[in-house]
Amino acid sequence: MTERSPAAAPAPDPDADPAAGQVAGGRGKAAQARRLHPWLWLLPALALLIPFFVMPLGILARNSVYRDDPTALMVPDFTIDNYVRMLTDPYYLDVFTNSLWIAFLVGIIALFVSYPFAYYVVRWARRSRKLLIWAIYMPLIVSVIVRVFGWIVITADSGLINNLLVGVGFIDRPLQILYAVSGMMIGLTHRYLPLMVLPLVNAIAKIDPALLTASAGLGAGRFRTFALVIVPLSLPGIVVGFQLVFAGVLSDYVLPNLMGTTRFRMLAPAIYDEAIGNVSWASAASMAVIMIVIVVAVLLITNLAFRRYAPWARTL
Amino acid sequence: MNATPERSKGTGPRRTPGTALLLGAYAAAVCVFLFAPIVIATVLSFSSAPQLIFPPPGYGLSWYKEALETRNYISGFWVSTIIATSTALISAVAGTGAAIAINHYRFVGRSAVQVLLMLPVALPGVVIGLNLLFTLPLYGMKTGMVATTFAHSLLGVSYVTYLVLATLANYDLTLEQASLNLGASRIQTFWRITFPLIRPGIGAGAAFAFLISFDNVALSIFTSGNDTLPLRLMQKIRFYPDPSVAAVAAVLVLLSLVVLLLFGKVLQQRDIGQLSE
Repeated sequence: MTERSPAAAPAPDPDADPAAGQVAGGRGKAAQARRLHPWLWLLPALALLIPFFVMPLGILARNSVYRDDPTALMVPDFTIDNYVRMLTDPYYLDVFTNSLWIAFLVGIIALFVSYPFAYYVVRWARRSRKLLIWAIYMPLIVSVIVRVFGWIVITADSGLINNLLVGVGFIDRPLQILYAVSGMMIGLTHRYLPLMVLPLVNAIAKIDPALLTASAGLGAGRFRTFALVIVPLSLPGIVVGFQLVFAGVLSDYVLPNLMGTTRFRMLAPAIYDEAIGNVSWASAASMAVIMIVIVVAVLLITNLAFRRYAPWARTL
Repeated sequence: MNATPERSKGTGPRRTPGTALLLGAYAAAVCVFLFAPIVIATVLSFSSAPQLIFPPPGYGLSWYKEALETRNYISGFWVSTIIATSTALISAVAGTGAAIAINHYRFVGRSAVQVLLMLPVALPGVVIGLNLLFTLPLYGMKTGMVATTFAHSLLGVSYVTYLVLATLANYDLTLEQASLNLGASRIQTFWRITFPLIRPGIGAGAAFAFLISFDNVALSIFTSGNDTLPLRLMQKIRFYPDPSVAAVAAVLVLLSLVVLLLFGKVLQQRDIGQLSE
């Protein structure tokens, strides 16, 4: 019923222009006008994204090869000095390795904490399921500042945990949790746990229970079924969850700022300090470029590894 | 194999009560972990003590009074409300248009546009903020509410597009065709047919954009005058934390709960549709 314009990209479903039937009579001009329609719909979004997102990305790349001038803001140049410094200077190297390490650790911790929880939500919970799903969404939607404030009350030197431990007599002096790596990691795990749980819940829900019955019927014990059937089939959820948590932690500003310590620098606050505190725009730009590269690389590597080592999961 | 009365679909091999109890206890523990800081912050707002002690030695509303008399909070609340409302409006318009373009048409560059629309939420917030810090002077723009609104809208558009596309997934295009064939103009068709059908998605997207903007830190630190509510609260927490922060926090929790109650349905349908039949 519709003729497709020659420029239209091949798409699996038929050309969906609702006006196509109407203009079937006159080709030329009407078809030309129709080709503009999607761009008219896109106009507001592009009017926002091009000047405030696409252009700035170009300017970031440009600034990263400029040179910081101690007396002025930034001098036009074309140098890779900034990048060399980022990858050789111990201060910057620490910032990158710290962030990568914490992002990896929190990703793994979140996976191990979330998996049994997600499994319970899908396969066991009945009346409690609604409450459990609320528990996942609540932290996502409550202001991160509120959550950090709660954790500060819990982990401070005279906070809930330390008062309990000292009161019971486990320790004499309060543990340093707040303003240390451990406190920051608790906060980060809390902030990004739902991003691990949700993909896991989706993935586990897709597993056909008949497969588990079959596995048991073929003589596999519960552990074998879990390790050889359930985990491999939920791999898509594991990969997506890990990617979300990793990228989230790597770029988090609030947690390191409010619960961390300046003795253990993280990437996002370091970029802020470089740009606002030191007014070294060129080095801040090169840090940001490296940050983008890391995020994209991790996404690509995990996706590739996933396709290569878990080809069965692609069809899920 | 042991089908339960509540669920007809099988649940796999051998469900022993012991495992159920163990897993149940574990799930409860994770729930406590997830809720603990939110509940504690809320309870602390009713404390009568000036220190951050939990459980509080006494209860009262004095910190709410204190919060209401703190000018930084009140002005921060209004600044954030204005920015978040404008962000929700801009994102709703731009995101809805983008979703319709992607859903209704096949055109050259469609997949590039799709990637572009999701990129702002995929990239680290500080990177986008830093980019804007570099770029705003080129447009003669200063940091402040306008710049911050545009910055937050970058994220808002992604969310609205995503949620409107989700509502468009089971949307019948022949309705629009019928409307056009019956002589309605394209504008009439949009307002009478398309808009009413995708309104839940637009509403949820706008609500999400509002919350994201109201809570944003990573972009605001570069684009605002450090006067939004989250930044005011951060300054307070860093330098002189007292339960007045908890009072503001409790109000924010209430705000989030209202939004979740209003729009939670749309979110659940999208993400865990297969669970809540």
